[in-house]
Amino acid sequence: MKLLILLFIIFYTSLFSSNLDYLLQEYDTVNQKSLQTVDEKLGHVFLYSQKDIKLMQYQKLNDILKELPLLNLNKNRYGLSSLSLAGTKTTVSGFFRVFINDHEISSLYNQSAALSWGDLPLDFIDYVEIYYGESSFSLGSETGVYFIRLYTKKGIKENGNEINLKGSSKGSSSESFTNAGTFENGWTYLFYGNNQKEKETRKYKNDKILNDGNRRYLYLDISNDNTDINMAYTDLKKDSYMGLSYDAVPEDGEIATKDFFVDVTNYFLNDKSLKTNVSVDVNNLDNSEINKEGMSFLPVRGIKIFNKDLEFTKVKASVSKSFEYKNNNFLTGLSASEKKYTKGNNTNNDFDKEDITSVVFQDDYNLTDNLVLIGNAKFDKYKRSGFLEDISEELYRIGAIYTPFENFGLKTFYTKTYLPPSFFDVDYAFLDKNLDVQKYRIFTIEGVYTTQKSKTGVTYHNVEIDDFIYLEPTIGFMNIDHRIKTSGYIYSYEYLFENSNKIQINYFTTTLSETLNNSNKGGYVKYMGEYDKFEYFTSVLYRNSYTYKNLDIDSSYDFSLGIAYNINKNLKISLKGENLFNDSTESLYSDSGNDFAFDDYERSATLSLKWKF
Amino acid sequence: MKFIIFLITLISFVNADQYTFLLNKYDKELELEAKIISNIATASIKGEIKLYIPEISSIENDIYSKFFILTNSCEDANFIFIKRNVDLDFYCKNNNSKLFFTNNYEKLLNNDRYLGAFFWNKSRPNITFIKARLEKQKIELSKDYDKFVEDF
Repeated sequence: MKLLILLFIIFYTSLFSSNLDYLLQEYDTVNQKSLQTVDEKLGHVFLYSQKDIKLMQYQKLNDILKELPLLNLNKNRYGLSSLSLAGTKTTVSGFFRVFINDHEISSLYNQSAALSWGDLPLDFIDYVEIYYGESSFSLGSETGVYFIRLYTKKGIKENGNEINLKGSSKGSSSESFTNAGTFENGWTYLFYGNNQKEKETRKYKNDKILNDGNRRYLYLDISNDNTDINMAYTDLKKDSYMGLSYDAVPEDGEIATKDFFVDVTNYFLNDKSLKTNVSVDVNNLDNSEINKEGMSFLPVRGIKIFNKDLEFTKVKASVSKSFEYKNNNFLTGLSASEKKYTKGNNTNNDFDKEDITSVVFQDDYNLTDNLVLIGNAKFDKYKRSGFLEDISEELYRIGAIYTPFENFGLKTFYTKTYLPPSFFDVDYAFLDKNLDVQKYRIFTIEGVYTTQKSKTGVTYHNVEIDDFIYLEPTIGFMNIDHRIKTSGYIYSYEYLFENSNKIQINYFTTTLSETLNNSNKGGYVKYMGEYDKFEYFTSVLYRNSYTYKNLDIDSSYDFSLGIAYNINKNLKISLKGENLFNDSTESLYSDSGNDFAFDDYERSATLSLKWKF
Repeated sequence: MKFIIFLITLISFVNADQYTFLLNKYDKELELEAKIISNIATASIKGEIKLYIPEISSIENDIYSKFFILTNSCEDANFIFIKRNVDLDFYCKNNNSKLFFTNNYEKLLNNDRYLGAFFWNKSRPNITFIKARLEKQKIELSKDYDKFVEDF
């Protein structure tokens, strides 16, 4: 045995110049796994680690969103990629809540992050956690069903400069610059600036539909041990794609947005168990369109010129405290926010302000070493201006995480939650603006089996929705008067090979009590890895075929391939091909009252350069 | 001591690839940090190491105590690791015979009481010892450490 250990040590020391080298390498490897903030109690977790983002060459948030199980990422009439629940092409609704660190970036108008943040470059994002399940209990935020949390890189770890350049075969380009540093007094900062030019011209009938745009992102993080200050600004100017035009081809149209937020989080006490957060958001949206054939989705189709110039503000403050007592971990919090529709609300309603006060309470109780029981309660009080009455809502969740064996575990939640109507929903409800909240009852159970190298998981969900808010083309948003039911499974498998090589397989299927107007089955196979100075990946994303009215939509197989070469430890060149079979998902649109299907995106290749200095 | 740390390191990574559910806070990064500091301290000091980290958190206390004898004051320690923005003179007055290490490169450059630093640079973890300060403290590191020693 001693001889064996000795031989191993000789082998080991020949591999690494010193024990310290090995430890530093492991330290870096562990950091790139991005497991430090994973919270199993928030829901069912999908993690995109720093390593995954690097190897898979995910460049924008949408690259990740389009492969998520139980969801579809389709292009909407404005040429923006927006998420829908499997089987549906729902418009904006509040299911999805997107955060940069602790700050929610979903639009104050329509609760969607697609417009301003869907194309967020991931150059300054460290890793992404996605939680399936109502997480507002722990975060004290507004309610939702899917929580997408982006964690930014930090100055303390970046400590240098980085330039990223990208160019695509379609003519799109992106340039970004990062500067990060640490001061002697412990304060660190990270500044990020990005400029993107998007080029997309699509042929429809004998016309061209334009989707060119220009986006800019600025981000600043200033932090020390106990304080984290985040500031972000983004603006966008783009063509309106199909817009609201009745014949899907506007004469002219433009969307311009400007979004800004500042968010300050402070931690108190030695264990940082007391946390306060204050934030301010401003959203601007300017949308104009001209079409001689008139517009859809408006109460009067005869309108030929459409123009809106909107502004929204939000101020939020929250405090939370966690503490332990015997086998309990308690979390309690209080938050208050004020959302204002400050400019452009001229659609015959006086709902222009919403104050929300929330109290959250969470307890996870370790009944035994391998069984954790979770209980959540949240009480929300809405004070709404104008004709909408004030409401009080209660949310509850119970759950359990049971790991009878080290390599086998079960996790289950039963949740009662709701989604309130947004300013946008009310603006576009032409028949009855007094929209009710959507009520959700969600049951989920997840089983996971692991070996040293593999991980196999199955997740079942069963959801019942009352008063679902649906966009009906002629009367706008309305509450559906019957219960909607959906249930299904997600199957996942991962196997780790040597040298960070791994394969991930995912398949989902879901049933819906309504007529399907989008894929309800899908999945992916991804392989990624690195060898010597090379990094590589390949993936196939699948969405099934379906029939809607008289339209047969084919299955989609989005095949991508990428390779990167590290010229030295500071300089990397990457090439990525997307949708190489030219077999993208399709979205349903309406042209003069007739439905038609149109590809969401085309084949493309992107060349990137990353330089650290 | 080095051998024991190496064995602990080895064993901890053999079975750590996949996890079922992460029920406890993930502390592998902190554990590796403690191992790295332990490695550095063992290379710099002959004999028993007594570590002091001013304003140590409870989780750091739990992890570091697996590898070190932790002390509650600078006086009782022979190796001091400064992780936070603390006033070094307040915690360790005139204790220049002890070894000081920091996680802040700017601190290392601007205060010659520090022997070296363990910090991040260009997204990569780094270790730097300053040669003149090693010589002043009469510390001889093994050749494996040459690449971490800077002469400026």
